[in-house]
Amino acid sequence: MAAIICRQIRKNRKGELVPPTILGFQLRTGEFAMQAITGYHRPSGLDEALALLNRDDVQSVVIGGGTLIGAGFVPASAEIVDIQAFADATIELRHERIRYGAMVRLQDLIDHSATPPLLAETARREGPNTLRNAATVGGTIAAAHFESELVAAFLVQDASVKISLPDHAVEVSLEELLGDSTLLERGIITSVSVAGGGETATARTGRTPADTSIVAALGRVVADGIRLGLTGVAAHPIVIDPAAVDSLEPPEDFRGSSAYRKELAKTLTARVIDLLGGAA
Amino acid sequence: MKVTFSLNGTEQTFDCQPHESLRAVLRREGYYSVRFGAETGEAGSAAVLCDGRLISAEVMLAAQAGGHEIETIEGLNPPRGLHPIQEAFVATGAIQSGYSTPATILAAKALIDRNPNPTEAEVRDALSGILDRETGYLRPVHAVLRAAAVLRGETVAPVEPALIDPLVELGGTPDMGAANSPLNLPPLSPRVVPSPEVPETNVVGKPERKVDAVKLAKGHAAFVDDIEMRGMLYAKMLYSPHAHARIVSIDDSAARALPGVHAVLHHENVARVRYASGGQSYPNPLPYDQVSFDNKVRHVGDRVAVVAAESLEIAEQAVKLIEVEYEVLPAVFDENEAISGDAPVIHDEPDMEGAHDAAHNIVQHIGAEVGNFIAGLDSADRVFEKTFRVHQVQQCPIEPHIAIAWLDSDERLVIRTSTQVPFHVRRMVAPLLGLPVRDIRIVKPRIGGGFGVKQEMLIEDIVGHLALATGRPVRLELNRAEEFVSSRTRHPQTITFTTGVMNDGTLVAQKMRTVANTGPYGTHALTVQMVSGLRGLSTYNCPNKKFDCDVAYTNTPVAGAYRGYGAPQALFALEAHMEDVATELGMDVLEFRRKNWTKVGDPLDVAAELGEGAADMKFIPVVTSSGMDECVVQGQRAVGWHRRYDPAWLQPADRPHIRRGLGFAMCMHGSAISGLDMGGASIKINDDGSFNLLIGATDLGTGADTILAQMAAEVLGVPTADVVVYAADTDMTPFDVGAYASSTTYVSGMAVKKAAEEVRQQIITRAALLLDVDVPGDIELREQAAFAPDGRSLTLEQIALHTLHQDDQHQIMATASYVAPDSPPPYAAQFAEVEVDVETGQVTVKNLVMAVDCGVPINPLTSAGQVEGGMVQALGYGHCEEMVLDENGRMVNARFGPYKIYRADEMPAVEAYLVQTMEKSGPFGAKAIAEIPKDGVAPAIRNAIFNATGAQIDNLPFTPQRVWAALQTR
Repeated sequence: MAAIICRQIRKNRKGELVPPTILGFQLRTGEFAMQAITGYHRPSGLDEALALLNRDDVQSVVIGGGTLIGAGFVPASAEIVDIQAFADATIELRHERIRYGAMVRLQDLIDHSATPPLLAETARREGPNTLRNAATVGGTIAAAHFESELVAAFLVQDASVKISLPDHAVEVSLEELLGDSTLLERGIITSVSVAGGGETATARTGRTPADTSIVAALGRVVADGIRLGLTGVAAHPIVIDPAAVDSLEPPEDFRGSSAYRKELAKTLTARVIDLLGGAA
Repeated sequence: MKVTFSLNGTEQTFDCQPHESLRAVLRREGYYSVRFGAETGEAGSAAVLCDGRLISAEVMLAAQAGGHEIETIEGLNPPRGLHPIQEAFVATGAIQSGYSTPATILAAKALIDRNPNPTEAEVRDALSGILDRETGYLRPVHAVLRAAAVLRGETVAPVEPALIDPLVELGGTPDMGAANSPLNLPPLSPRVVPSPEVPETNVVGKPERKVDAVKLAKGHAAFVDDIEMRGMLYAKMLYSPHAHARIVSIDDSAARALPGVHAVLHHENVARVRYASGGQSYPNPLPYDQVSFDNKVRHVGDRVAVVAAESLEIAEQAVKLIEVEYEVLPAVFDENEAISGDAPVIHDEPDMEGAHDAAHNIVQHIGAEVGNFIAGLDSADRVFEKTFRVHQVQQCPIEPHIAIAWLDSDERLVIRTSTQVPFHVRRMVAPLLGLPVRDIRIVKPRIGGGFGVKQEMLIEDIVGHLALATGRPVRLELNRAEEFVSSRTRHPQTITFTTGVMNDGTLVAQKMRTVANTGPYGTHALTVQMVSGLRGLSTYNCPNKKFDCDVAYTNTPVAGAYRGYGAPQALFALEAHMEDVATELGMDVLEFRRKNWTKVGDPLDVAAELGEGAADMKFIPVVTSSGMDECVVQGQRAVGWHRRYDPAWLQPADRPHIRRGLGFAMCMHGSAISGLDMGGASIKINDDGSFNLLIGATDLGTGADTILAQMAAEVLGVPTADVVVYAADTDMTPFDVGAYASSTTYVSGMAVKKAAEEVRQQIITRAALLLDVDVPGDIELREQAAFAPDGRSLTLEQIALHTLHQDDQHQIMATASYVAPDSPPPYAAQFAEVEVDVETGQVTVKNLVMAVDCGVPINPLTSAGQVEGGMVQALGYGHCEEMVLDENGRMVNARFGPYKIYRADEMPAVEAYLVQTMEKSGPFGAKAIAEIPKDGVAPAIRNAIFNATGAQIDNLPFTPQRVWAALQTR
């Protein structure tokens, strides 16, 4: 029984989307979530890691940087499979795409000269430096926090994700993976590649300058117009046709009602399009 | 399992559990500089270097560290003295409580190692992972820049106050021309506007280094948790999951049977003794509505039971084994609903003492009137009324509540605790534990911030009960979520101001109606609201005033003391209301206020009926010093107030969705509780002419120990370093009420001054004998020596050796105490600059300027730090921080990130001006400064938003959705 780190958004008994802040608190009410970690493994290679992850009798969790798991976001009693000994931490430019190993730390992504400006900007917004120095590209993709601007930026940069499974490897678009994460139940992200080039722009709204955005819009000029990404309007960051923003039904939390998030999505989308010259 | 890594350059192997954090293992191995802040790593106090990068040891599993190089501050510390980064932090006043200072210094090291010449933005990014509730980040950021310069081999200038010419002649009018010329001052220099009335001093008024700086900079064991007790047990609380419920049954048998469990306590096995938990003077204000453990729970996070076990893991496991059957009751969370008559009754127990009307959930009713409000209102040309709502926030000290209790060799109970009120705790905990006061010793070591939340006897009874029950040392520390919901918070209030005013702007009648929310227990319920009334109705002159207040029980987390103590709530409503009234009258907002604000000689008539010490007040106090005029013009110049009237600035052409605005708020606070607060001090001389200063005063990181040492040094003619401070130990130091009500400088300071003057007299007497001087009064103490009028001198060491060893031996020492008859108000002008995105509602605060009249700042460096840090905490209150409860009373954002505390890399500009006045009743002319920075930021931002957009937003905080909604209805 295997599990990759769970998506940080859930549905409650009423079927409403529950943001991770609530989940985090529930994990900590009267108990110490770290106790859910019952074992630690540091396999030396991918095959060993996959074998550990796919044991029938043990629930296992892959750990990259550990900023979420270490913080207690552990779904249940689980053993840790730490992939640091073998996981790829390199960044390389290959056929006009930039490839990030799953173990690349967010700060290394920011600091690398090949990284597109949009990825660097949004990676910086994932958290303060203490967490950016530990958090990894693979872990961020796997968690796919619904307010993650970096995940939205990966979407906008046309990311594809390579996942190793026990018997084969697959490469899927990030968009596809976010729509169906069952691949991650048995597999491990090994790398992410993105397209370079294309003018980009962002617009966002938060309580303070470094606050996690309530809604953010990210755009990149592509051959047939603007590839638009949004955060805070669905269970995970999405790519959306700008003309379809009006049809969104965002989840809500204390920072923004569904209606407000929808208004933000429309306003911020318009700004991004304007910044990119209006070529939607 | 075992894990091997390099620790400060030496490869070591440690035992650990798979779930253990790196912090837990490092602390167990004695690396106490790595400190708990939040399990999620969001606090940063546990940051260490891993392969040269700053990471959170809180979220890094110890097992993950295997094979890596880990560095802590202990690896940086030289055997004696300080590393240049540490020295920069000390010299710049970048250290307050010091709890997170080791992590911050490591962040600086990692940055400078990588980039020897960083920009300010790069420094702010490097510190972004370490939250700071104390300094406002200004001094730490510039300490890093200074350290980098030193390490590059550059020479840096000492941090000296920048003396600024006054703009207002005494008795004259503000010079508005000069007010439009901005200054360009070094960021670290405290801005001091001197007063010619203030006499020259040698130590007082100087930017002295903190007396506790070295141990804080080096991360030495100094805080509650930084000790090891053989056989220590770990306590874990079981808290209520329900907002309101009766405990039908509780079965602890499985928990007790768990190996390693030593005690399980709850309402069935702990004596039922009524108390009020607020740390206040005897007799504690009513109501007495708490017991250690009750058979009813009244908020999510209320106490149900506690376990003490061999390890925290066992205690947590045991807590889960306690079976509790609840009868869930209806709950109420809104203060107005709670007292409506239709709400569930929260306190229906028969033995509750002292609530005003428990059947209607009214814990306190407070009424006061000066003049005749109705008659005054009838005489007014115009009448204005508006209702405001202020919300619930938490103090968020980075060090949560923690206490360790044990029985000493005399079987006396010792409680080492993070408290602001050690003497109150000793007296209050005694009856709960069934012990006489003499058998209890409370020790307050360094504490990692308090801000009022530790003006409470919150967990000391629990560790006391467990230590007595087990005979073993017991440690209890709240985790971050528990600190949010199970400690104390700021009172939410609904405030309605009704004001009668003449057409020329003269106030003739003002009423403040307040409904306050204390949660289910009335700790500080009376006094916080009385201070609200006092601040709301004494800031401006008005002949007819009325305060009408009900304090409601609800099922929210418990409210209590929070820095500002009722003033931030009142001044938000008052200063918003005054802005609106001035605007409606067509008057300049500053001129309207200036016409009405209290000035020297004005009576604070309502103070005789409101305020914490009102019951004991025998006379109507009068304003004896005020630098308000000077504060306003200094602030105007600093913030660029003239831009408020410039359309091109208000609406920038290049960003059509942005509006800019400037806002102002007047602030007035108090200096201690007159007639009630008492501080004591003892001073004795040592062989070498140094002195021990023993004080009951409680330094929370504010620098209280330092400024009290400065006062003693000033009187005794020695440098501050010759005064060795020991504080806040109920067995060893004189009584002091503790650190609250802005009392330490004003009250404890006067006690120190009196004791020092007595010691000085004893030294002079001995010196006169030895120097054969007929009139001892002719002897002068300075430069560590006693000088005769003819220039002959003896060192204090010579005098000390003579009195201790040689002839007519006795110990030169004295003890003094002081109760202040007055509470002279500090005044301040708070300015804010904002940008508002009118399409999304996002407010960006660009600049905060506060000019404060605190009398004579004893230490300009620590005073400036108090103002800078206080403003930033107040910024959170007004702008973004809020406790959000769901429909069942559960807090949905009990983490630092979602709760939202400002980080170093997102700060507005912050600037503090210290406007001197000579307050003759205070020590060396001092008044208080600790709390007033909390009072004006929220209304100044509100008024800036009004200036920018025309929207009047009367609820806190100014979150994007709230502002956006207000903009839709303009």
